[in-house]
Amino acid sequence: MNYIDLAAKLVKKSLSLGADSAEVFIESNRNLSIQVLKSEIETIEEASSQGAGFRVFVDGKMGFSHCNDFSDRSLEDTISKAIAFAKLSSPDENNVLTDDKGVTAVEGLYDAGISSLPMDKKIAMALELEKLAMKDSRITKSSGAGYGEGESEIFIANSNGLLKSYKSSGCSLGVSVVAEKGNQKNTGGEYCSRVFFADLKSLEEIAAIASRRAWELIDPVMIKTQRAAVIFDPEVARSLLGGIIAAINGERVLQGASFLKDHLNKQFASALLTITDDGTRARVIGSAPFDAEGVPTIKNILVQNGILKSFIYNVNAAKRAGVKSTGNASRGGFSSLPGIGTHNLCLEAGKQTQKEIIANTRKGLLLKEVTGYGIDPVSGNFSGGASGFWIENGEIVSPVKGVTIAGNAFDILNAIDMMGNDLDLNQTFASPTFRVAEMQIGGK
Amino acid sequence: MEKHVVRDIPRRKFLELSMKGGLLVAATPALLTQLISCKNGVKTSSGMDMDKEMLSKVISRALEKGGDFADVYLESRISRQIVMEESRFKSGLYGISQGAGVRVISGNKTGYAYTDEITEEKLFRAAEVASYVARNGNQIKPVNITETSYPSFVTVKQPLGEIADEKRIEIIKRADQAAKDYDARIKMTMVDYYDEIRGRVIATSEGIYLRDELPLLFFIVQAMSDDGKARHMARERLSNHSGFEMFEDVTPETVARNAAREAIAMLGAEEAPAGIMDVVMQNGWGGVLVHEAVGHPLEADNIAKGIGAFTGKTGQKVASDCFTMVDDGTLPNFRGTINYDDEGTEAKRNVLIEKGVLKGFMTDILSAKQLSLTRTGNGRRESFRYMPIPRMTNTFIDQGKDNPADILSSTKKGIYVQSLSGGSVNPITGVFNFTCREAYMIENGRKTNPIKGATLIGSCMDVISNIDAVGNDLDFGPGICGKGQAAEVSAGQPTVRIRGINVGGSKA
Repeated sequence: MNYIDLAAKLVKKSLSLGADSAEVFIESNRNLSIQVLKSEIETIEEASSQGAGFRVFVDGKMGFSHCNDFSDRSLEDTISKAIAFAKLSSPDENNVLTDDKGVTAVEGLYDAGISSLPMDKKIAMALELEKLAMKDSRITKSSGAGYGEGESEIFIANSNGLLKSYKSSGCSLGVSVVAEKGNQKNTGGEYCSRVFFADLKSLEEIAAIASRRAWELIDPVMIKTQRAAVIFDPEVARSLLGGIIAAINGERVLQGASFLKDHLNKQFASALLTITDDGTRARVIGSAPFDAEGVPTIKNILVQNGILKSFIYNVNAAKRAGVKSTGNASRGGFSSLPGIGTHNLCLEAGKQTQKEIIANTRKGLLLKEVTGYGIDPVSGNFSGGASGFWIENGEIVSPVKGVTIAGNAFDILNAIDMMGNDLDLNQTFASPTFRVAEMQIGGK
Repeated sequence: MEKHVVRDIPRRKFLELSMKGGLLVAATPALLTQLISCKNGVKTSSGMDMDKEMLSKVISRALEKGGDFADVYLESRISRQIVMEESRFKSGLYGISQGAGVRVISGNKTGYAYTDEITEEKLFRAAEVASYVARNGNQIKPVNITETSYPSFVTVKQPLGEIADEKRIEIIKRADQAAKDYDARIKMTMVDYYDEIRGRVIATSEGIYLRDELPLLFFIVQAMSDDGKARHMARERLSNHSGFEMFEDVTPETVARNAAREAIAMLGAEEAPAGIMDVVMQNGWGGVLVHEAVGHPLEADNIAKGIGAFTGKTGQKVASDCFTMVDDGTLPNFRGTINYDDEGTEAKRNVLIEKGVLKGFMTDILSAKQLSLTRTGNGRRESFRYMPIPRMTNTFIDQGKDNPADILSSTKKGIYVQSLSGGSVNPITGVFNFTCREAYMIENGRKTNPIKGATLIGSCMDVISNIDAVGNDLDFGPGICGKGQAAEVSAGQPTVRIRGINVGGSKA
């Protein structure tokens, strides 16, 4: 099916059915998932799917509808429903569509070779990955390995004459294993996803990480409740920074529902903290030539040396705030309204190695796992479950499990006093190791 | 790696990378989709009736290369959502969705494929893709499908299809007004109204043929308080498989005032203490703690893999004598009620742990076969885009004998948890975490000052052994459970006391 023509046609159809302005978002997908367990195929799932979302404005009121049946009758019915539903909404002068026809040149969005690789090769990779992860004698069980791939094509058209599309791909490998010793049990997993098949980490590397994570926390000690330094490994940096992202969502800021709402252009965190969001980085999964309502992507500096530089916006929230969209409209697929989200977040690297940071810590916790909801974007409150390694006099002395860490976002972010140099830009959420000088730790 | 999460309602579901391989796949409109009348068979866009003979042919095709079992699942959904933020109607959202999935099980292997288009050609294609795993497998002859019927536990007085949109709007406005009227410090409200009608047709190689349609209502009020010093976003939810009469039993004002009450109460929250403490959990949605900490580890898929925390413990004492836990898909009109699961097994009341002794696991067809257990009716799926896996329905700690007031007054020092945001568990190790939404200090048997949202952590085995008081005030709350795919559930409990949980406060 020629979706680009269909999208343009459906915009016209929406106008003829009574919309003042209209946007059509079409998505076409193909995906494959292979799971193996105990050297056998466990599941194979394969499907293609499509869907369309219609956003219409009538007298400044917004309506939305979606369907996955592309027959003429169904499409027309669905558009009519969006128009009828718009009449239920309140008028909003910020209900406008973009007229930016630009498309950012982004390299490496699509690997045409993925789909032509034989199924048997993909199955064999998953089987081999599981076998490698089980190699260490401390690993007693497998909870499975998998390979997945997806291709997606997005089409956006609106009544300002916008007509854009792009194709993207992704593939992934992952494995999870269990280490046991006496009554102790610990799981470890690793997951690698890339746009290009050739960029996937080697099976050996993925397996080794999963295996190490499972056994390294065996024989933990319980520490006392105390205040001490906490070193965030790159893998768990997200647990702290996720809440910042939710708090710089421009719509939530306008609604007063953000702990950062009054901090624009102010120093709210340590000068070591610089955060960017980049939708234009080559060969990374979060990149795209334009966002979920067609605004070209850019690289945004969100936090610079601890100063909050920008909130993130879609078209509606930007107009309300009196600024330009930052290209951060985001959708959970064709069935959802454009909200606000990030592309590829990056916490800029510092100068020290993780080893140096540990060596400079008299007493503290090297965090390897954090559970919970992270920073509450409304109140700035943070609390989570934690495990990792206990450090004394610059050296790791033993694994630690079953403790908690907590604090207030401002206190924690201002207490970042060391920034690592171990940044991996292949991640859509990239962070080096960093240290928070002191946090509350809950133990025995 | 595999974590099970009961989460807050995602206001927007961002693209997430997952092991399901759906990298850029608009994974599913979890809640938004459609039904076309089941009364005369599910109709496709071309108006074709999906008759039994046709489904039999698809099943035969799916088993052509071999296999022990095959099924076809057809689904259609109509959904309506109306979103109010800051006292303005942001948008109405209308969704229609339909599709079908074909599954083949051969030994321990499962093949699955789905299609958006319900046509003979597409279903045959899906059957062929799904049958890939069955090469060299067993050969069986499918049983002719015949109409099957099970009792329904869902009654409807005011069908959603007969409700004018104006009535939906009115419910939302009433909630918004009630929240704002509660206190001047309520600065913002968000009200989400959602309803759907989901139609299912299930046909299996064992001869089952079922079809039904279930309505679902979901109403969420969030109220944000701000007094210039502190800010708290509170939430209250109401959800049933029922008609619009749900709002007569519990009014939108009640839902809104509950949210507003929490938002105001928590403005005075002080820092929570850190370390190991006794915890009293109020009756109701706190049941999410056992849903996570014990429920997920009792789902049979990880048991069949031999890695689940409760593997090999059937018949053993795993919890205190006062602890009985049940999963029941037949509670009238409850959010987790299913009549039958998404592979055609009748819903049941399943006692999982009785007076501390492990009685059984929650199974789907595959795990029941692998473990030689009975089918408990827990094979559920988010939509046709997912294969069924063992999931909970309405899960709860059963009624106890203690007076809730006595449980509190006999607790010298600890935390009183009135509601939880949600949490997650590692079903293999049994290690869990929860975040408190509304909690208070307990000092000398009395609730005192509110405390900021602390995380509670522990292991499932410890927590159920350390429950030493169970109240007689069983109550429930609605939630969304995530396990690679979403499921609507409810969780419940009477007031209980758990000795010694690690509380993640920021105060020493």
